[in-house]
Amino acid sequence: MAPMKGLTVFIADLRKCRSQEDEERRVNKELANIRTKFKESSLNGYNRKKYVCKLIYMSLLGHEVNIGHKEAVDLVNSARFSEKQIGYLAASLLLPESSELMRAVVGCLRRDMYDANECIVCLALCAATNVATREIAESLTEDVVMLLLAPSGSPFVKKKAALCLLRLLRRFPESVKARQWAARVIPYMGHRDIGVTLAVTSLVTALAQQQGDEMRKASTFAVRRLRSLVLDGERVADHMYYGVPAPWLQVKLLRLLQYFEPGEQRSELLGILRRIIDESQEAPRELQQMNAQYAVLFEAINLGIHVDVDQGLMHESALLLGRFITSRETNIRFLGLETMAHLATCIDSLDPVKRYQGVIVQSLRDRDVSVRRRALDLLYSMCDVTSAKAIVAELLRHMAIADAALREEMALKVAILTEKFATEYSWYVDVMMRLVSLAGDHMGDEVWHRIVQVILGNEELQLYACRIALQTLRAPVCHESALKVSAYVLGEFGHLIANAPGCAPLDQLKALQARLPGASLPARAVALTAVAKFTNLFPEIKNLCLRLLDRFRGALDAELQQRACEYYALATVESESLLPTVFEEMPPYPERQSALMSRLLSRETDTEDQRTWVVGGRDINRSRSTRRPADEDAPAAAAAAAEEKQETAQPTATPATTTAAEAAAPTSLDEPPALTPEEEERVAKSRKHYARLLWESDGILYDGAEVQVGMMAQYKPPAARIGLFLGNKSAAAICDISIQAETSDDSGDLVIQQAADQDALPESLMPLGQARVFFDVRCHRVFAAAPTLRISYTLAGAPTVLELQLPVTAAHFMDPVTISVTDFFARWKQLGEATIGESQAVLKTPFLASDADAIQWLRNVAGGMGFALIQGADVVPDNIVAVGIATTEAAGRFGCLMRVEPKPSHSLTRVTIRATNPTLAKAVATNISMIFDAR
Amino acid sequence: MTIKYIFLVSRQAKIRLVKWYAELELKDKNKTMKEVSQLVLARKPKQCNFIEHRDTKVVYRKYASLYFVAGIDLDDNELLMLEIIHRYVEILDRFFGNVCELDLIFQFQKAYFILDEMIMAGELQESSKKTILKVLSQQDETEAQENSERGWGDIK
Repeated sequence: MAPMKGLTVFIADLRKCRSQEDEERRVNKELANIRTKFKESSLNGYNRKKYVCKLIYMSLLGHEVNIGHKEAVDLVNSARFSEKQIGYLAASLLLPESSELMRAVVGCLRRDMYDANECIVCLALCAATNVATREIAESLTEDVVMLLLAPSGSPFVKKKAALCLLRLLRRFPESVKARQWAARVIPYMGHRDIGVTLAVTSLVTALAQQQGDEMRKASTFAVRRLRSLVLDGERVADHMYYGVPAPWLQVKLLRLLQYFEPGEQRSELLGILRRIIDESQEAPRELQQMNAQYAVLFEAINLGIHVDVDQGLMHESALLLGRFITSRETNIRFLGLETMAHLATCIDSLDPVKRYQGVIVQSLRDRDVSVRRRALDLLYSMCDVTSAKAIVAELLRHMAIADAALREEMALKVAILTEKFATEYSWYVDVMMRLVSLAGDHMGDEVWHRIVQVILGNEELQLYACRIALQTLRAPVCHESALKVSAYVLGEFGHLIANAPGCAPLDQLKALQARLPGASLPARAVALTAVAKFTNLFPEIKNLCLRLLDRFRGALDAELQQRACEYYALATVESESLLPTVFEEMPPYPERQSALMSRLLSRETDTEDQRTWVVGGRDINRSRSTRRPADEDAPAAAAAAAEEKQETAQPTATPATTTAAEAAAPTSLDEPPALTPEEEERVAKSRKHYARLLWESDGILYDGAEVQVGMMAQYKPPAARIGLFLGNKSAAAICDISIQAETSDDSGDLVIQQAADQDALPESLMPLGQARVFFDVRCHRVFAAAPTLRISYTLAGAPTVLELQLPVTAAHFMDPVTISVTDFFARWKQLGEATIGESQAVLKTPFLASDADAIQWLRNVAGGMGFALIQGADVVPDNIVAVGIATTEAAGRFGCLMRVEPKPSHSLTRVTIRATNPTLAKAVATNISMIFDAR
Repeated sequence: MTIKYIFLVSRQAKIRLVKWYAELELKDKNKTMKEVSQLVLARKPKQCNFIEHRDTKVVYRKYASLYFVAGIDLDDNELLMLEIIHRYVEILDRFFGNVCELDLIFQFQKAYFILDEMIMAGELQESSKKTILKVLSQQDETEAQENSERGWGDIK
């Protein structure tokens, strides 16, 4: 062993550094030094190795190292073993996977794998495993398989090859083509070298999870080897670990067998397991021996649960585990609880486990949080109808003292257990309200949402829930989540208790109102909704409710304000049917997977190996067992499911092609012969809608007997996004819906297309349903005519096409700009002389301009159209002087000046537009004239 | 058994050796090590050697002032991982002759090579102390041989 002196000195230097800054400085100095050294052509292999080692050390300390990649590759290419070794180490620690140089490394790997020197081959296999890029998986897998299977290869090469394949298989399962070689690997589980057996068993375990039954033969090898180790006393020499023969191999084999159904080997396996369990009755003295022996024992129990959970063997195991959970060794307590939880999720009768309930509850108070967590898992797993009340009560008692980290999980588990095992409604409600009060701060919204869902779904629960809700509101302390539940419940079902003494509508409202001042914003929002529901539920206190809502109309928080305004407006509309319809009782929630369950399960992420069991839910474990690859039905079931899917998919594909009738469809705007008064009115209304959208960003575009079209526009000149909403006003479903927009010409001045990132239109639209489409609009140059919107649909077999003008004009791409009064008149004059773009229009005012509202309206219109008003520019205060600038994508920007002079005495308004583009000026003038007409 | 990572951390929270077997962004690796170090360093002597961190079970053992920390799958055999750590320490001890933290600092590359002989792809590769030490001494001999071929003049 010859340490490199330069490296030693450098490390010693760094250790002397007193502060992070010192170290930083020393590292930077060395980096600079190494950079210069790397540039020298005379750098020899030894020094290169030394510098690369220094770089590795720096990165180990957490410093960023971006140099030395090329040198690492040089070292890999070296003929000397020690240099190559450092080179490969650096390649795995310093070189990013995406680096160009990785290709060179892979080239070396390929060469080294065929080196005559076995040490070099081992080095290459180890490096390939550490680096494991896709390229290695794609181009070197075959070579590695060959190294594993070559009859003459040494154990060193074989075990490394096996683990190299394992890593590649896990990372790039699709690239290694495991099917071609998997079966040939199995016999090596019988190799006399324990290292090879161990490595190959790891590989086979991964393959068994992917290939399932094709690897079945492996179980024979596994059982044979186990028997030899456990029953026959195979001599394992160096692999004896503190008196336990090859514990790692034993555990590996016991684990592998959990991925297969035991089949005819069941009895032989049970014999082996019995021996392992029997031998653990006496606790070993030495720590290492005990750990190794118990490691095997716990894995044996796990396999026992899988092989035959209801044999006497498992009852014996339960006794043994019962001893462990009171052990003085914390590790053993921990593992005892964990393994017992596994047993509890699978065993038919819980009696052997329940015997220890008292001890397990005690463990919730263990000094060690790791043990407490296991105890919680076990209590959750062993809970059934008979023990639920006691266990839930214990968990609630512990909630108050449990550490924050554990409390959320505890709350979730209590909520699930209570829902699952409740036999009395009052118990469910009591426990849940207690839970939200105790653990409110430590749990997600799922819990209170779920309580509400359960109450909505169970009519028998509602009366009692109301009573408790009112009590909760009146308690001295009421947690946020408890307030939300109570408010929701009373808002829905408060009438159920309204006749009981002290529960009159007024009492309910007062109780709720009293909680508002201290409550958080979200809780207040829920409470406001309850108050709104009261206006419908209890007409006798409607006025009080309205007063409360009214108070919140001025709330600072936008959410509260909006709710209050909307609810207030809703409750004051003169309509007998509106409130009862809006606040109709909520329907029961459709039963699907409880949000609580998904939350709990989401805590488990995919791991490298498939889990053989999960904590808790006995039902989950049982259904899970069918998902194991070893299950023979699984592939067939999957195939059947896939077939079924295809069958259902086919019919939906056909109707799309049969809608060619569209062309023949009569269109509603297609040369109307003579308009009926009704239609005439509709056309007038349409024009009004259109005019309104010339200065407002959203509103109704078309309102017919069958459908209504709404529009929402967002302008970011030169782009815009237009949302169109098609609502079905008829009593039947409409189908074959299509919504298209097209420009008036092909000049490309305006581009309008459907936005890419949106859902397709629905196949059909139910009455009161709404469909929406977004269009992306780009203005390339100033354009003259607005685009057309074509909406077609079929109602009761009759196709209809609507053609509407889309209120998108050149004037829409306008942004306000502020300029000074002098500037304005200078430009006004300039534009007037050039007369390039003046458009002057004298318009008839439909109103008296002295009307203050009307002046304000004029200003609003100008602002809505994208103009900035210049204050005090005109001597007549009612006159409007405004500036805007229109932006186009290809032709640049155009200024636009506007003066509006109302002449009330003549019932006239003079509007003058001057712009740097005549089309734009015209468009603005046209729009204004339409807006005036429509008023 | 799948080991996601092994790292050595001193009582002062200095990382002495890191080996990752799971693929992760560097940023996330560093974050994980920091969090796990904090968890482990806060543990008291009588507590068990296991603790959960996100979706990983952390198995650790303290030797003198150095913590050996490994992250494994949730349902992996933690006792056995504990003994893998112990075996690694035994081999380090034999290799360096009464190993101390300084050996691992100044010859960190050797600590890596020993680890590579023992664990690959996050799985135990070899459990025989003798076999591993044999490979290591062979590597040392090769290196000495190569150094002597080069002549001491090159070596600074």
